[in-house]
Amino acid sequence: MGSIKRKSLEDPTEESAPHPKQQRENGFAGVDEPVACLHDVSYPEGFVHRSSDKAVAQEESKPAKEFPFTLDPFQSEAIKCLNIGESVMVSAHTSAGKTVVALYAIAMSLKNKQRVIYTSPIKALSNQKYREFKEEFSDVGLMTGDVTIEPNASCLVMTTEVWRSMQYNASDLVKEVAWIIFDEVHYMRDRERGVVWEESIVLAPKKSRFVFLSATVPNAKEFADWVAKVHQQPCHIVYTDYRPTPLQHYIFPSGGDGLYLVVDEKGKFREDSFQKGLNALVPSSEGAKKNEAGKWQKGVVAGRAGEESDIFKMVKMIIQRQYDPVIVFSFSKRECELLAMQMAKLDMNGDDEKVNIETIFWSAMDMLSDDDKKLPQVSNMLPILKRGIGVHHSGLLPILKEVIEILFQEGLIKCLFATETFSIGLNMPAKTVVFSNVRKFDGEKFRWITGGEYIQMSGRAGRRGIDERGICILMVDEKLEPSTAKMMLKGSADCLNSAFHLSYNMLLNQIRHKDSEPENLLRNSFYQFQADRAIPDLEKQAKHLKEEKDSMIIEEEDSLDNYYSLLQQYKSLKKDVRDIICSPRYCLPFLQPGRLVCINCSGDENSPAFSTDDLTTWGVVINFERVKGLSEDDANKKPEDADYTVDILTRCAVTRDEVSKKTMKIIPLKESGEPVVVSLPLSQIYSLSSVRLVIAKDLIPLQNRENTLKKVSEVLSRFSKEGMPLLDPEEDMKVQSSSYRKSVRRIEALENLFDKHEIAKSPLIEQKLKVLHKKKELTARIKQLKRAVRNSSVLAFKDELKARKRVLRRLGYVTDDDVVNVKGQVACNISSADELTLTELMFNGVLKDLKVEEMISLLSCFVWQEKLKDAPKPRDELQLLFTQLQDTAQRVAKVQFECKVQIDVENFANSFRPDIMEAVYAWAKGSKFYEIMEISQVFEGSLIRAIRRLEEVLQQLILAAKSVGETEFEQKLEDAVSKIKRDIVFAASLYL
Amino acid sequence: MRDIESLRLNQTQKLRFEKALEQLDFLSAAANSNACVAVADTILVDHQDGLLKGHGTTDFDGELVATVCGVVERVNKLVYVRTLRARYKPETGDIIVGRVIEVAPKRWRLEINFTQDAVLMLSSITTGEDIQRRQTADDELNMRSIFVENDVVCAEVRGVQHDGSLHLQARSQKYGKLERGQLLTVPPYLVKRRKQHYHYLEQLGIDLILGCNGFIWVGEHIDTKDDMVEDQVAKSEQQNENPGDNFSKETYTSVEIRQNICRAANAVRVLCALGFNITADVIIETVKLSNSVDIHEMLGPEFYVLVAESEVERRRSSKRI
Repeated sequence: MGSIKRKSLEDPTEESAPHPKQQRENGFAGVDEPVACLHDVSYPEGFVHRSSDKAVAQEESKPAKEFPFTLDPFQSEAIKCLNIGESVMVSAHTSAGKTVVALYAIAMSLKNKQRVIYTSPIKALSNQKYREFKEEFSDVGLMTGDVTIEPNASCLVMTTEVWRSMQYNASDLVKEVAWIIFDEVHYMRDRERGVVWEESIVLAPKKSRFVFLSATVPNAKEFADWVAKVHQQPCHIVYTDYRPTPLQHYIFPSGGDGLYLVVDEKGKFREDSFQKGLNALVPSSEGAKKNEAGKWQKGVVAGRAGEESDIFKMVKMIIQRQYDPVIVFSFSKRECELLAMQMAKLDMNGDDEKVNIETIFWSAMDMLSDDDKKLPQVSNMLPILKRGIGVHHSGLLPILKEVIEILFQEGLIKCLFATETFSIGLNMPAKTVVFSNVRKFDGEKFRWITGGEYIQMSGRAGRRGIDERGICILMVDEKLEPSTAKMMLKGSADCLNSAFHLSYNMLLNQIRHKDSEPENLLRNSFYQFQADRAIPDLEKQAKHLKEEKDSMIIEEEDSLDNYYSLLQQYKSLKKDVRDIICSPRYCLPFLQPGRLVCINCSGDENSPAFSTDDLTTWGVVINFERVKGLSEDDANKKPEDADYTVDILTRCAVTRDEVSKKTMKIIPLKESGEPVVVSLPLSQIYSLSSVRLVIAKDLIPLQNRENTLKKVSEVLSRFSKEGMPLLDPEEDMKVQSSSYRKSVRRIEALENLFDKHEIAKSPLIEQKLKVLHKKKELTARIKQLKRAVRNSSVLAFKDELKARKRVLRRLGYVTDDDVVNVKGQVACNISSADELTLTELMFNGVLKDLKVEEMISLLSCFVWQEKLKDAPKPRDELQLLFTQLQDTAQRVAKVQFECKVQIDVENFANSFRPDIMEAVYAWAKGSKFYEIMEISQVFEGSLIRAIRRLEEVLQQLILAAKSVGETEFEQKLEDAVSKIKRDIVFAASLYL
Repeated sequence: MRDIESLRLNQTQKLRFEKALEQLDFLSAAANSNACVAVADTILVDHQDGLLKGHGTTDFDGELVATVCGVVERVNKLVYVRTLRARYKPETGDIIVGRVIEVAPKRWRLEINFTQDAVLMLSSITTGEDIQRRQTADDELNMRSIFVENDVVCAEVRGVQHDGSLHLQARSQKYGKLERGQLLTVPPYLVKRRKQHYHYLEQLGIDLILGCNGFIWVGEHIDTKDDMVEDQVAKSEQQNENPGDNFSKETYTSVEIRQNICRAANAVRVLCALGFNITADVIIETVKLSNSVDIHEMLGPEFYVLVAESEVERRRSSKRI
């Protein structure tokens, strides 16, 4: 028993050489090898090296698995770590060959008769890996939410979620598993699911070893340090930037007709060629700047009538140059399909290939019922597949997706249109990767692709051993600065940051087990680790700022302070008044073209002026329009504060430098600058004058604009004595609001005070105020830093934990002394839907009453998250149920809000979507899949995923019903499962 | 209360005792207004929609009827009957103490006062090894070196498996075989579920484990380390324990500790006989109260009355607050 001590504290011979934490054992081990990889080790604090004889013994023995090819340095380095029985984190590009390390770990465990677990983020990926491992080693099992095969095998492939719940349930496995392989561990930064990885890693048995496979992350070391600390074991890092096939990056300007090499295989950025490429860019339509929001899509998708679209030209060129197979990445499912449709004229496959495709396709579709075979998605797919074109996105039927993956791997698909999801997982490389867009919609706005994303996706380019180099093509449809391009093409990978957050299910599970504490989990989380690490830095900053603050000495600080606060009040009042006047309700009728308006020209809003007057200038209104939500203006973008923007002609200093973007700064009329039309949010307008100018119809020629501005200056000088006649808010604009009048009165009072204030007469008042302001800012900064330090030195999430526990107590899930109640027991079982709302719904008897179909339909709201625009409302009965759900959700959210959990009540209630209620209702009634597709406008794949998840929720509810002893309800849920679990929705994966 | 009747109380003791009981009745009457039901009693519910019928209830001629004796509990629309004086009903996460009754293939069967025997799988315990590995036939053969029949084991309820059997787990250092102490059996309703079921009574130098199933362990204190360092130390301890010469030294328990164990055990017996809730605090208080009497006198009539009176005092003072 316990013959070998891995880390013994009492071993006296070793005591003399304690290894400090983070010591570099053989850092940069691979420097002199052809392809360098970094090797580093993190030791836990107080770690004492174990006697070396075991390591030697291990190394001499035969390797657990031999590979038919020579290993890359990083692979052999990682395998060395495995051989000495220590954890390792491998961080390398997608196609570099990390699987080799996983395979070796599995082989080693099997040889030692140990259990090994392989987890991956996605069910489909687990299926694929299962197949891959099963071919290699026979003793392999699979556990995902959907299927369980040979759960007693030595090597188990599962999703991370399954692994986590096994740990919570104290499954037997937990004790037996020697090695745990986490594939794609960089998923940990996923906002929604990342926390699962953290939980799994923290909860993992202390004596097992880990293999982490991750995309390149710059802070791999930090991650390893964390693992070392949490599990008290050394963790190696093997990091490599190496790509087996070097990449060449090209750009393809839209409307142009060629490729421009931007980054060559040595990683050199070619500025000249980049500029040439941009010059060839033909903007999609001149002067269409205003409706930028819609532009990204049109640019590529629509093309110009009668002409071949860019994408078509490009694919044709790729085929001609034999750069195929090619993967075209785009960022929306619809776009993917549209692009594929444009390829209609191309045919890239020979006759025998066509026959091949047809055989594969129909043998895969064989498992579908005849009705399902007639689904439009199925029947439309074959013709394009036959021509060598494929589509791959999450909206496809899972079975189609798998067929396409298989066809692609067989080389029968030459051109694949895919979304980002295709970039993770199984090795499916192409020679060429095309990015159809440089921007991606991230839920809020269209932003540039990040370097990390680019790296991940371009990882698909270049087939090892076949292509000499991989080719990446970026389709550019707008000007971009070289710096932006560099960031994208040569940017560093994204950091691995913790996305830890609390959930009630997690808390309840932790509270329920007597020997675990939620606090413990939090203390060991990566989030806490990262926060702890930042403390010394923050403290230093705070100290620095404090010194700076103390060095500032101001005379008469008190009275100045007084004056300063008066000024602040005055300003905020002014702003209130302005906000009222400029609210669209009042001022829109007066924004006719030609009206003179006074606008803010202090440039950026951060540098405040210190007098009672603001820096203003005048301009002419040209037009105003509603902001369509998501556009990103070049000048003064402040999308959050205005529903309307006003186009105003005024004088601007336009600076264009090579590196940064074009910037425009509004300047007073008299200074030299260009007359430009800028669009400003309403809040930028100070006041409206009663004067309107006649403006030229065509403002495009510079001369016309210059003339208009001249007129403005003339008007200004004419009124210079008595001041510009302004629109009177109350008389002209009909502003009738008591708050307006109150503010005006207070402003008057304040103005009086200013005059009386003696310090106002001090000559250097302006400078003094500036200094004071700076000092105030510093004080605020210091406060903020101190708060940050405090927050991270105490337990991260401590307040939230308290708040959430309060919620659980308030709703009766746990008792006052933290013992889980009946309700808590129920909520413990629910992890695939919002546990509180669903439990409340159940305990309020809402579910019990309903017909089975209605209940299924109602539960569908828990699993559907996509927002559909103008989806038809479900019929009345269902709508009624949905309102009931929303009421419950609102109540739950309100309680949370009252307990100081940060939550937006409305948003929370709206996060339940009724969009697929009808479809699911019909499905539960026994409709065919094509029938339910007709009544819902969602993608087939999305619907299938939702129904599968619904089944998961039902299974969890069955457990819940069992725990309260409600047999009738349990029966009903069983019934529900059998009603939805049929046909194409639950068709088995092809990989199994 | 049967035990009480067999006590020979003298006249004054009887009077004092009856008064104490009366006062207790009075104190609890206000607090406990929950409806108590017997088997076949109708549970009053307004027959509105969506009633959830939980444990201990059934539908009978359109009426909700209790199938067990106990207290009706309502959580929103869920109605169930919490039983009194019944067997223990396990819930996931409960800490229990049980006695091994059989060593079976890959598992031990434990008596835990539930309607069926609990199962503790060989794979659900920590053996103190430092290697994570699969169970082998050897392990199975060695099971008797871990627990044998009649051993007292502390474990946590893992949950009901798909086949309906109740599984336990003992995968933390706290769990495992209990030695050098006494096992007491009380009705499970006297032990309330709490966050903490392990108690180290420092002044007495003993450990107290209040199993949710009504099995209470009182034994000599054994050090357990907290989670992080525990593994390493525990390992070395176990290695040291193995050789036989250490063994005899380790099993020696001082007279003082043994007396303390007896005191605490008797305290539990008295409390149980009086039907008071058993918590660590009450046990400590009772032990303190017993300082004036000999251990064997703790089971005498005078002490029962004393405990009852002090309980009255305790409840009264907690009520005032």
